[in-house]
Amino acid sequence: MSGSGADRRRGRGVDKREAQRERPVSMSDTRTGCVWCPDWPVIAARRHADAMGTDLRNRPLIVRERVGSRDLVRAASAEARAVGVARGMRRREAEARCPEAVCVDRDEANEARAFEVVARAVERFTPRVVLERPGRCEFPTRGPSRYFGGDDALATQIRTAVAEALGPDGVDVRIGIADGVFVARLAARRSVVVPAGGSAEYVAPWPVSVLDDDDLAGLLVRLGLPTLGAVAALAPDAVIARFGSEGRRIHALARGIDPGPSVLVVPPPDLVERTELDPPAERVDIAAFAAKELADRLLERLAERGLACTRVLVEAETEHGERLARCWRHTRSELGDTLTPGVLAERVRWQLDAWITTGETTAGITSLTLIPDEVVPADGRQLGFWGGDQVAHQRADRALARVQGMLGYDAVATAVVQGGRTPAEQVRWVPWGETREPELLLAIGTEAAAWPGALPPPFPARVFDPPVPAELVDANGDAIAVNGRGEQLCAPAHVRCRVLPAGGGVVRAWAGPWAHDVRWWDVRAHRRCARWQLITGDIACIVVVEGGRAGVEAIYD
Amino acid sequence: MERAIAGRTYVRYRRLVVATPISPNLVPALRSDALPRRDEQARAQLRAAATRAAPAVLAGDRLLVVAGPIGQLLPAGGIRRGSTVALDGPPGTGSTTVAFLLAAATTSVGEWAAVVDPDGTLGARAAAEIGVALERCAIVRHVAPDRWATVVGALLDGVSLVAAAVPPGLRPGDARRLTARARERATVLVTLGPWPVEATLRIHARGRNWSGLAPGGGLLAPGSSVDVRVEGKAVRAHAKAG
Repeated sequence: MSGSGADRRRGRGVDKREAQRERPVSMSDTRTGCVWCPDWPVIAARRHADAMGTDLRNRPLIVRERVGSRDLVRAASAEARAVGVARGMRRREAEARCPEAVCVDRDEANEARAFEVVARAVERFTPRVVLERPGRCEFPTRGPSRYFGGDDALATQIRTAVAEALGPDGVDVRIGIADGVFVARLAARRSVVVPAGGSAEYVAPWPVSVLDDDDLAGLLVRLGLPTLGAVAALAPDAVIARFGSEGRRIHALARGIDPGPSVLVVPPPDLVERTELDPPAERVDIAAFAAKELADRLLERLAERGLACTRVLVEAETEHGERLARCWRHTRSELGDTLTPGVLAERVRWQLDAWITTGETTAGITSLTLIPDEVVPADGRQLGFWGGDQVAHQRADRALARVQGMLGYDAVATAVVQGGRTPAEQVRWVPWGETREPELLLAIGTEAAAWPGALPPPFPARVFDPPVPAELVDANGDAIAVNGRGEQLCAPAHVRCRVLPAGGGVVRAWAGPWAHDVRWWDVRAHRRCARWQLITGDIACIVVVEGGRAGVEAIYD
Repeated sequence: MERAIAGRTYVRYRRLVVATPISPNLVPALRSDALPRRDEQARAQLRAAATRAAPAVLAGDRLLVVAGPIGQLLPAGGIRRGSTVALDGPPGTGSTTVAFLLAAATTSVGEWAAVVDPDGTLGARAAAEIGVALERCAIVRHVAPDRWATVVGALLDGVSLVAAAVPPGLRPGDARRLTARARERATVLVTLGPWPVEATLRIHARGRNWSGLAPGGGLLAPGSSVDVRVEGKAVRAHAKAG
């Protein structure tokens, strides 16, 4: 199938490992093992703290992650989960539920570094370990399980070896073996060996949420298909008719068949990217800088041929002749199905960091190679059929993100109308890129009931927050004040303010005052103020008096 | 002459024409059955249809149709994409409302608008009341005067309408560059405040007629009109827009 490519490689006299790669090994239907350490971010954080001299064992721990401007729980230790902390929760809520928990930032480089121990332990059994993210790795088991005496024996031995490598902490290591990557991952959750051909039976009771797509899972549940078995029982053409090519994948997964990347291409042999580092890189950042360039170049050359990469082999060579290699896979995510230069460079950096800090390299790195291992045709990102507004949206998104980069995250916002008494309170600003919560329908009737003292439409087009200092005086030139019952003593006659044209003037018409006694139960947030709607000249505005000082709050422009 | 063409190769194509005589007995048959008759009624229908049909408009000359009374003041009932509209008027005379009307015309057809508001004083509730789809209207605040032109330029690349409050001391060179960029990107640039260079349209807000509020009572009534004056190449208008 790739005769010429393989011959060319052998002709170059390269080593055995490269000869193994002569055909694209898809893990779709092969017997696959999966090693999974649940809550790996927590374990990695604990081990890191241990190394720094802090003991975080047996203490509740929350690993947080910033998503946009939101602060979410990425992982939580068993103690924290026992009191109701869950992944994806807001950090503030998690801390309210578990106040004694230690909160640490997510550090993916540290996770990858800590996982290197596990990967190396598995590598003693099979050389072809594939990492997708720290905490989980997969490997084909056909060869090793024949050598070590069957799947069960292999699973037991690997589990023992990994647990030994991780030390006496009693880390939960789960290993599952099944046909295909998807089923192997499910098997690892329960730490079982699924017999060959038993995939469909094993996956049937699992809920559809294991498909790792919340929108899709929600839709399937609403369609009355709560489990994978229910999806598998449908006729395949019905699923494809409803979901398109995505439906083909779902149906295959539900039957326990991992379709893998749809079309595999033999990786063209000349696409291997290699760079020599002179002087040898002793530090991670120097090697990682070279890796970034390599990643850019590799993906650019793949893109020229209309190809994209889903699995890449990272190889490094040191001054002492050590050769290190590790395979990283990238699967579907919100970033797209294939590797992007940023994602690839990040993985290479993690790997180099792991090799250097765990002492696997005894000297500086002299050369770095990236080999595309699994290559699929790049079909790009499919836009909607009526792609007009989608395209316009992306154009706007790019421009606004650029402005955000220039001015800061909060500078670009969209407005959400909400309830409130003052014009400034009635609007909430959501930074661009964050999800707008659905607007509540504010019927005037209910709104007036909910917010006593709020002015009905029309609404002012210019709102000053805080109010611009002004003078509101009566006919005698005395400042307008209200008594304890919220009644004014004299009618307003003149208003003066710098934002009004010509500095203000005679009050032609006015209504009010509306007195507000807001949050009287809270000492700090308590406000007492009175509000007038008035017309001076041709200008309508809202004037507020609070603590004896007047201010223009809004202008109807 | 000889030397001039020596370096070139000329290929002459010759068209082969085959003439076939039409048999004379076919012609009367065609004339009587297949060809349309000179039908006076059909011609009248065609003439009526021609008055209703509008000529095709090229994509570059597309109009941003503005509904409502202000649309009637504008040439052809809207604003041509790529043009610059200079809006002015002292605070309280309705210039912000006119800007909102134009933004509402953009967002209501599913396109994107951006408003540059350096002071952060925009009343989004009023915008929603006028009909601006707030989820498609980005508002850019806290813009320093020296970065104003850069920000507006970046926004012109991305959205269909940019409404921007002009900072004091804008250089005419920057203003001209933005006008050119808007034309190139087929984006409408609406400026609020004194615009130092020429614009396709100038709209002066001259005040609003409020009703409903009396000395000591009542409330401002919704639906008050804005008194505007539109200046431009194709218009000489002065009217009230609501």
